[in-house]
Amino acid sequence: MATKIIDEYAEMMKAYEQSGGKVGEFSNPNVPSIVISGNKVLGKNEVKGLIIEPTPTKDGVDVKIIVKSGTKILYPMALCFGVLPREGTQIINMEAFIEDNAGMNAISHCVFPNAEHIVHKMRYKVHIGKHSFFRYKEIHFHGSKGGVEVVPYTEGTVGEGSYFESTFTLKEGRVGKLDIKYDVDVEKEGKLELYSKVWAKETDEVNIEEKGNLKGEGAKALIKSRVVLEGNSHSKVVSVVNASAPYSRGHVDCMEVVQDNATAEAVPIVGVSNELAKVTHEAAIGSLDSKEIETLQARGLSEEEAIKVVVGALLK
Amino acid sequence: MNKILRIENLHLKKGGKYIIKDFNIEIEQNLISVILGVNGAGKSSLAYVIMGLSGYKPDKGKIFFKGNDITDWSVTDRAKAGMTLAWQTPANFEGLTVREYLEIGMKKKSLFAVKEALEKVALDPVLYMNRIVDKSLSGGERKRIELAAVYAMHPDLVILDEPDSGIDILSLENIKKLILDFKKNGSTVLLITHRDEVAEIGDKAFLMCSGKIINEGTPSEISEFFKDECNSCNHKGEPEKTLANNEGSE
Repeated sequence: MATKIIDEYAEMMKAYEQSGGKVGEFSNPNVPSIVISGNKVLGKNEVKGLIIEPTPTKDGVDVKIIVKSGTKILYPMALCFGVLPREGTQIINMEAFIEDNAGMNAISHCVFPNAEHIVHKMRYKVHIGKHSFFRYKEIHFHGSKGGVEVVPYTEGTVGEGSYFESTFTLKEGRVGKLDIKYDVDVEKEGKLELYSKVWAKETDEVNIEEKGNLKGEGAKALIKSRVVLEGNSHSKVVSVVNASAPYSRGHVDCMEVVQDNATAEAVPIVGVSNELAKVTHEAAIGSLDSKEIETLQARGLSEEEAIKVVVGALLK
Repeated sequence: MNKILRIENLHLKKGGKYIIKDFNIEIEQNLISVILGVNGAGKSSLAYVIMGLSGYKPDKGKIFFKGNDITDWSVTDRAKAGMTLAWQTPANFEGLTVREYLEIGMKKKSLFAVKEALEKVALDPVLYMNRIVDKSLSGGERKRIELAAVYAMHPDLVILDEPDSGIDILSLENIKKLILDFKKNGSTVLLITHRDEVAEIGDKAFLMCSGKIINEGTPSEISEFFKDECNSCNHKGEPEKTLANNEGSE
């Protein structure tokens, strides 16, 4: 049994490394971390001022994270979630409390290297107190078969004078089916930034719904999505900013690059219900700019290499 | 002297009209050759045809580079053979840093070479190396980065399409110095411009009008002719009249 757990941990670490993570983080006592494979917690490290409470469930793990008031966590927390078998379901319910005058950065790698039919549901509830910050990056590594259904849903509140940044990246391997949802309220002088970067291939399906609600005076939101599509993939991006408070400011910026037979939709929705608020948007769907590609070809890159550089930079 | 580029009987039709017709030129190695002409003379189209860009495949004629017929070569193959182009209005690249952009064309990536190229165009490497090559740069900054990128490549032939446009007067001297540095480093320069004061740094000049070379000589001769005949031209699109006047005045 112990050997099996060690093997599973080693395989998770291998996939974590493939997705760009540094495995040394999990043996560093100063780096807060958690490793979850399926519904098993394979490792956990807390640091002063940070509480991590995982509770295994039938299909996953419920995780409560608390950053105590006045604590700024020095090193970014490393999270590794994944499913190693070819089939399975993983449901992670994560609730993060960043108390007042506290802050943390976190990088989560979600790995499904052998996926043929995997369902991965992430439910995040984020509560950020006053004058605090939380920067969360989620990086996905899927296999080449496209058999993953990923459903991350984040809801939360950014307290007065606080900052929440969330970045979702899926560039390696097939996407499969992706259904992202954000719904975040921003209080007085709070700031929200949401970034989604996805590279869809073959028959992948991408659905992104991002919503920022500017409820406090001077609240700000930036919602930025970059989706590159090829093959027969499809994406729909719905970006919403509702501004109901004076001096609140929001901006939506969506770009979808379509190649081959791929199709894309962009729906920016901006709502203002206060005369002193302002929300702007820009959305573009199109093919790769031939001038960009030919410029790089004129530097000696092949067309394929040039496309890779342009797309890689766009999703960086 | 060796001819690095030779163009024979080139014709390019766009929208049913010839914008380059019966175009012939020979460019000598390691010299600065200037193509001077008013806006709309077909100068940028010529640059695109030489570089092999999509939509600019000649209808007739041949292009030879270092003795090879490159008329049907791809942009990449032409660049690999040693030529490149600095666009008049360069493209933007979201997410790509200035350093990464410069390194793309370098045979051997080197931080020193990146810094040197930026200094050549009077941009502080500390301030610019990690900037993104996107719309956050002003037109003039982007233009200088384009020139730095082609400088870092050390190409055998560099086509500079209006390198002076969008550049302020003070920076113009830097740009002229950079063009001379290309030559010093062994590159042949094909400088395309509509400003006679820029043309004067060349070794040889050609006057282009309505898709044709109508005159050639020293830069001062061609600049003089350009100032006298082209700036006040009232018969654009009819280069034969210019030639007739010129021949008559001699």
